[in-house]
Amino acid sequence: MTKFRLTMCALLALTLFATTGVAADLTDSLKAGKADLKSVGVLAFGPDGVLFAGDSMGGQIFAIDTQDRTPSTAAAVEVMGLTGKIAAMLGTTADQITVNDIAVNPASKKTYVSVSRGIGVNATPVIVRIDTTGKLEALSLDNVKFASVALPNPVNASTGGRGGNARLQAITDLAFVDNRVFVAGLSNEEFSSTLRAIAFPFNAADKGTNVEIWHGSHNQFETNSPIRTFLPYKVNGEQTILASYTCTPLVKVPVSSLKSGAKVMGTTIAEFGAGNTPLDMIAYSKGGKNYILMSNTSRGVMKFSADGLEGFSPITKQVPDKAGVPYETIATMTGVLQMDQFDAQRVVILERSGDLRTVALP
Amino acid sequence: MLSMAARGVLAACLLLLVQSPAVRFDGARNLFLLEHWTGAAQLPAERYRDVFQISVDAPDVPPMLGQYRIEAGALIFSPQYPVQPGVKYRAVARIPGAAPITTLVDIPKPVVKPTTVVERIYPTSSVLPENQLKFYIHFSAPMARGSGYNHIVLRDQNGSVVEVPFLELTEELWDPTGQRFTLFFDPGRIKRGLVSQQQLGIALKEGGRYTLSIDRGWKDAQGNPLAADFQKVFTVGPPDRQPIDIRAWTVREPASGTRNPLTLVFPESLDHAILHRDLDVTDASGAVIEGGVTIGPEEKSWIFTPDVAWKRGAYTVRLGTAIADLSGNMINRPFEIDVFDKVDDALTHSKFVFPFIVN
Repeated sequence: MTKFRLTMCALLALTLFATTGVAADLTDSLKAGKADLKSVGVLAFGPDGVLFAGDSMGGQIFAIDTQDRTPSTAAAVEVMGLTGKIAAMLGTTADQITVNDIAVNPASKKTYVSVSRGIGVNATPVIVRIDTTGKLEALSLDNVKFASVALPNPVNASTGGRGGNARLQAITDLAFVDNRVFVAGLSNEEFSSTLRAIAFPFNAADKGTNVEIWHGSHNQFETNSPIRTFLPYKVNGEQTILASYTCTPLVKVPVSSLKSGAKVMGTTIAEFGAGNTPLDMIAYSKGGKNYILMSNTSRGVMKFSADGLEGFSPITKQVPDKAGVPYETIATMTGVLQMDQFDAQRVVILERSGDLRTVALP
Repeated sequence: MLSMAARGVLAACLLLLVQSPAVRFDGARNLFLLEHWTGAAQLPAERYRDVFQISVDAPDVPPMLGQYRIEAGALIFSPQYPVQPGVKYRAVARIPGAAPITTLVDIPKPVVKPTTVVERIYPTSSVLPENQLKFYIHFSAPMARGSGYNHIVLRDQNGSVVEVPFLELTEELWDPTGQRFTLFFDPGRIKRGLVSQQQLGIALKEGGRYTLSIDRGWKDAQGNPLAADFQKVFTVGPPDRQPIDIRAWTVREPASGTRNPLTLVFPESLDHAILHRDLDVTDASGAVIEGGVTIGPEEKSWIFTPDVAWKRGAYTVRLGTAIADLSGNMINRPFEIDVFDKVDDALTHSKFVFPFIVN
């Protein structure tokens, strides 16, 4: 559920800082200590080796200094039976762990894997780092530079303190864009959109802004729609969130519209068919053209052109099956559970078999 | 002649001389030990890992994470995580100049009689709207994560399986105790005008009778299956697309000087979980009244018992914005807004209150 999230804006900002000599480092605000994650799910890299991690059980987002900045020109990483190897390293078997996400550090090309050791709610969160030779190590969270921010979780003032609050928010995706961390989540109680934009560095007083993302269908009905996964992308020069709802369409939402308290209507630009949930999206260029690669629960890995996304008319009518942006299914990529961009030409995939491989972007 | 004590010391020394290095697992302390090797004390710390390596007994796996130390002459490996019942471990001592010593440690998994069950499923009503939004499945003990959807089947009155009716999220939606699983219907099949609904139809059809089955293969957090299957049978009524209208609610006020409950009664079932957390009671000064909440039959009432006796005066039940009925309709705000007849008021997200008097 991750992708290459170092956006052009962030790159531009880095370039500006570099040219003006301002020593802006994303780790400046992080403090050393124990990063007390209750769970670890989605991962996303920012610049300067900062890894953002979603902790659904703890209702928090962590920013962790991995101190992993040494650039690498390695062309691949491959670990056969990765899931079994991680399990063994943690002293258990593959059926007792869950691999929740992978993220590749765009500088070092090391792959970070978020893992739950154990099968219950008390599972231990572990982040495993894999170098390009395939060597595994656990990222120590006991003494790292980090920062965290708690996501708001409303509770009844009269009785909420008793027996705990049963409401949790599964953090389904996150990304670092223009010094803000965007977090998509789905509550285990109410069905609503919770796209939250949190300023970074984290500030205890600023829990971020919550934006209601709405979905219009059939040109008649509008519903508040949780975002399942998203990709920051520039459409015709405008910073945009390309998002997939839990009801499967692909929508675009201009970042400029994501203002506190705003009701934002996503523009549906594709319908990818029923009975499917998108998992990850990656943006890349090949042969002078731009593409997006999307992995799915039941419809394999799809590739579609990212050029001219602004040119697709919003889908406002009922469509027979697939509509809008045309796509092709990549026959050579099957059983993909997790993927993240390795470099400009390659993608790292974790397959259902438990193998981690690097393959050329199609 | 040697004294008894000296003989004892000699015997111990002889024992040491004849005892070969050995590997064992101390289950009580969760430690692997390489004992009776006199060279341990002289071994540089950076070589501990070369000499004594512990891994899960499987081909081509890395060693387990953990720490080494020397204690009472033994080289000790302390695994970072407790060993797992049902898993076999391989401890290999590679003492320089000697043949490797391999010891397999089998951690037995106790045979436990399954005891965890599905206690109940909300909504408890046996008649649900066609656009029912979700179920809450409550278990008697914490459950395993990651395979829930494999153990849930929805069948119609003919016994035919309803295809992909639910939103299947790899994260799964549990409460903090791991005892409540939230099962959303696929919103693509509830919302009107989407491909999912057109291709697969709505999941529930008015007039039908359905069975939601949970099979006992669903494992609890101890890795044991459920003690029994569970079924919820229900019939389906018309879709509910109306927002909640609190004008239709009634209140049963308690008397002052008592701890009798305050009861709000609704004409329709509301969402069980949200009822538990999204209402509270304040007095005329705005102070929150502490108390406990129970939810009445078919989730058609909210029952609040204060910690201390009611005093005479005016009170308010504050209603949160998340309160929803079984179809996700909220107060003055339907799940789906029909843009042809919507008015701006339909989108307000203001908080509502329900005043009452204690005499």
